Amino acid sequence: MLNSMMKTKIFAWVDRRTDAGAIIKSQLTEYPAPKNLNYMWNFGSLALLVLVLQILTGVFLAMYYKPSAAVSYGQYTVAFDSVERIMRDVNFGWLIRYMHAVGASAFFVVVYMHIGRGLYYGSYKEPRELLWIIGVVILLIMQGAAFFGYLLPWGQMSFWGATVITNLFGALPVIGEYLQQLLRGGFAVGDPTLNRFFSLHYLFPLLLAAIVGGHIHALHVVHSNNPEGIDLTKEEEKIMFHPYYTVKDAFGVGVFLLFYCYFVFFNPHAWGYFIEVDNYVPANALSTPPHIAPVWYLTPWYTILRSFPDKLVGVLAMGGSLAILFALPFLDRSKVRSARYRPVFKQMVILFFIDVIVLGYCGHEPPTPVLKLVGQVATAYYFAFFFLLLIVPKFEKTKPVPEGI
Amino acid sequence: MKLKQLLIAVGALSVVSFSQSAIANEGGVELKHAVIDVTSQEQIRRGLTVFTDVCMGCHSATFVTYKGLIDYPEIGLTREAVDELRGDYALTEGMRTDLSAEDAKGSYGKVPPDLSVIAYARKGGADYIYSVLTGFEHDPKGIIPDGNFNEYFPGHRIAMPDPMGWLDHDKEDTAQIEQDSQDVAAFLAFIADPHQNQRRAIGCWVLGFLLLLTLVLWRLKVEVWKDVKH
Amino acid sequence: MTEKANESRRNFLYLAAGGLGGVAAAATIVPFIGSMLPAADTLAASKTEYDVTTVAAGQLVVILWQGKPVFITNRTPELLKEVDGHDDMLKDKDSKAIPEVSQPWMNDPDRVKYRSIKPEYLVVSAICTHLGCIPGYKPTAGRKDWGDSVPADWPGGWHCPCHGSKYDISGRVINGSPAPFNLHALPYKYTSDTTVLIG
Repeated sequence: MLNSMMKTKIFAWVDRRTDAGAIIKSQLTEYPAPKNLNYMWNFGSLALLVLVLQILTGVFLAMYYKPSAAVSYGQYTVAFDSVERIMRDVNFGWLIRYMHAVGASAFFVVVYMHIGRGLYYGSYKEPRELLWIIGVVILLIMQGAAFFGYLLPWGQMSFWGATVITNLFGALPVIGEYLQQLLRGGFAVGDPTLNRFFSLHYLFPLLLAAIVGGHIHALHVVHSNNPEGIDLTKEEEKIMFHPYYTVKDAFGVGVFLLFYCYFVFFNPHAWGYFIEVDNYVPANALSTPPHIAPVWYLTPWYTILRSFPDKLVGVLAMGGSLAILFALPFLDRSKVRSARYRPVFKQMVILFFIDVIVLGYCGHEPPTPVLKLVGQVATAYYFAFFFLLLIVPKFEKTKPVPEGI
Repeated sequence: MKLKQLLIAVGALSVVSFSQSAIANEGGVELKHAVIDVTSQEQIRRGLTVFTDVCMGCHSATFVTYKGLIDYPEIGLTREAVDELRGDYALTEGMRTDLSAEDAKGSYGKVPPDLSVIAYARKGGADYIYSVLTGFEHDPKGIIPDGNFNEYFPGHRIAMPDPMGWLDHDKEDTAQIEQDSQDVAAFLAFIADPHQNQRRAIGCWVLGFLLLLTLVLWRLKVEVWKDVKH
Repeated sequence: MTEKANESRRNFLYLAAGGLGGVAAAATIVPFIGSMLPAADTLAASKTEYDVTTVAAGQLVVILWQGKPVFITNRTPELLKEVDGHDDMLKDKDSKAIPEVSQPWMNDPDRVKYRSIKPEYLVVSAICTHLGCIPGYKPTAGRKDWGDSVPADWPGGWHCPCHGSKYDISGRVINGSPAPFNLHALPYKYTSDTTVLIG
C-alpha cells in the first residue's frame, strides 16, 4: 500500500520539495530494527497513540469546558456545571470526556510499562543515555499535565489535591511562600488557580508532542535496544521497521483498544481509580474529604512524600525520587545491559517493580501505622536500588552474553 | 521469563486488592444490596415519583431538567405530565427544591446536597442510597437521638430526618418502604449519567468490532512475520 | 525455518485490516464532529415564548430568539393603515421572492400585507437582509418626526442606519434600498390568546 502510494505523481511532486521519500525510507521501510523485539516493545507506539487520543479529545472538550470557579447554584460552580453539561447535553460529550479521563490513566499504564521495559533490558545504558533522559523529561511533563487536568472539574479531589501539592512548594525555605503564591495566583487555590491550570493543561501536551518528537529522533539515531541487550553487528539480525513492526504495533494497538474501550464504555470510573468518588462532590474550601489521595499513577511518589516526618525532607525526597531517574545511566556502570545476563540486577529490578506497586498501594490507602512502616521500607528500597547499582557491577558475576541473535 | 514477571505482577496485585477489600469492610458496616435496573422505565418512573414527593422537599437535582424527563427514553414522560410536575418552572430548568438554603440550614443545620450525581459521589452508589434510606435505627449505644442515628451513614450521625419513615414503621409497611427506597436509588443511579444505557449499548458494538479487527491484525502479523527467520 | 509466504492470503489480510481500520477511523470521527453540533440545551433554548400584550400600543420590543434579534411591534389602527397605499414602492409586496420571507399562515390573502397572524402584532426578524444590522424603528409616515433621514414620501416603518435600507411597517423592503429582501418572517404560533411561541 505504502509502495504504490509512493509511486504516484502527487507523491513525486511532494518528494521533490520535501525529500519525503528519503525520510520514509530511512525512518520506516529501510529503518532497521532488531528482529527479536518482544511484545514489551509495543508500549512505545501505544504511548504515542494515547498522546494523540488525549490531545484530540482534549481539544474537543475545551470547546465546552469553562474554567471558572464562580458559583452557579448551591455548591456548584461554572466549571463543574460545564463538565456536567458535556456529560449530559453535548452530543457524545460523555464519550469524549470518558475517553479523556480513561486515557489519562491508560497513558500512565502504557508509559510505566515502557519505562519498566527500559529498566529491565538496560535500555538506558550507553549509547542511549540521552534517549532515557528525554524520556524522564516526558514523564515529568506528563505528571504535570495530569495534575493540572485533575483540577479542572473543580470537585473535592481536584481542589484538595491541588491544595496539598501546591503546599509542597511552600515547604521550600525562603522562596517557598512566594513560589506557592506564584502557582496559585492567590493565597489559596481558587479561581485564578483554575484559570492558569487550564492554560498550562493545554500547553503541556504541546510540549509533550515536541519532546516526543525529540525522543523518537534520538531513538532513530542510536536505534532500539533488544531483549538480549547486545549490539547487533550482522545484517541478518535486523529487519525493516515496515512492514514487520508496523503490523506488530498495529496488532498491539488492537489489543490495547480492547482494554481501553472496555473501560470507556463499561467501567469509566474503574472502581474509583480513574475518576474518584469524591470528585463528584463539588469543591468546598471549608471541608476536606475524610481521605484524600492522588490518582493511582501519582501514589508511589505520594507515599515517598509521606514517609518522612519532616515536611521539607519529604518534599525533597519526592523530588529526588524522580530526579534520580535522570542519573540512572551514570549510576549503573555494568557493561552488560539486559537483566537476562545479570542475575543480581534481575532480582533487584523485579523487586523494584514490586516495590513501586507497594508504594502505590500505600499512597492510595489511609495512612495506618502498619502501612506507614511498609511505605517507609518501600521508600528505603526505592532509593537503595539506585545506589546499590553503583556497587553491584563490582561483584556481580554476569552470565556470558550471546554473540548474536 | 516474561511469564514469570507477569505472574509476579498479578500475584502482587491480587494481594493488594484482597487486603484492600478486607480494609474496606473493616471501616463501616457492609451496605445492603439494592435491586435496581437502570434500563427499567417502570422502576425509574416510580423512583421519580418518590423523588418528587419526598426528596424534593429538601433536595434538588439541578442537572436534571424537566425537559430531560421527556427526552430520556428511560423516563419518557409526556409533556402534560411534566407540565403538571414543573408548575411555574421553565421546561429547560433543573429540578430544584423550593426549600431555600438558609431555611434548610436553620432547620437541619446544613444545606442538603444536590442529588444530580449523588450515585457517583458516594462509595457504593445505589447500594449506599438504599442502605441510608432504610438505615434509621435506635442507637445501640443510646448516645445519638432517634432520627439522627443511621447505621450506614459514616459516623452514624445524620442531619437528614428519616425521609421514608423507616424508624418504628409497621411491619406490614417494610416491603413497601424497601421497594420505594430501591426505586429512588434506581432513579438517582440513572440520572447520575443519563446516557449510561446508550453507552453500554454502543460499547457492545465497539468491543465486538475491535475483537474482529484485532483478530485480523493478529493473523496479518503472523502472516507477515513468516518472512523472518528465527 | 518458516513456511512459504502465501501472497494472496497476505494481500487479503492487508486489505481486511486496512478496510476495518478505515471503518474504525471513520466511526471515530462521528462523535467528534457530532459534538460540535448544537448541544441538547442549546436546542432546547431554540424556542422562545413571549407575551405580546406586554408591548405598549405603537411600541417596538427587540427580543432574542436563538441568539438573534426579533422585532415585536404592537401596531395601532393608525399604523396598520400605513400598510396600504405604497405597493408600487415595494420590491416584493406579497413576500414571494424567497421562502424565508414567508410562512404557511401567510397564504391567507388577508394576512399577506400584514405579515402577521394577528394584524396588530408583527413578529419579524430584526436582521436587515443587506448586511445584518438592526434597522431603526421610524413608524410614523412622512418626514415630520424623522427629518431628512427618510424620503419625502416615507410610508413609515424601519430605516437601517448602516447602509440606508428602508422597510415599511410590515417589514417589506422599499425600492432603492441595498437590501434585497423583506425582513424574514419567523415560524411562530399563539399558544394562548396573548403568548406567542417562536420556533
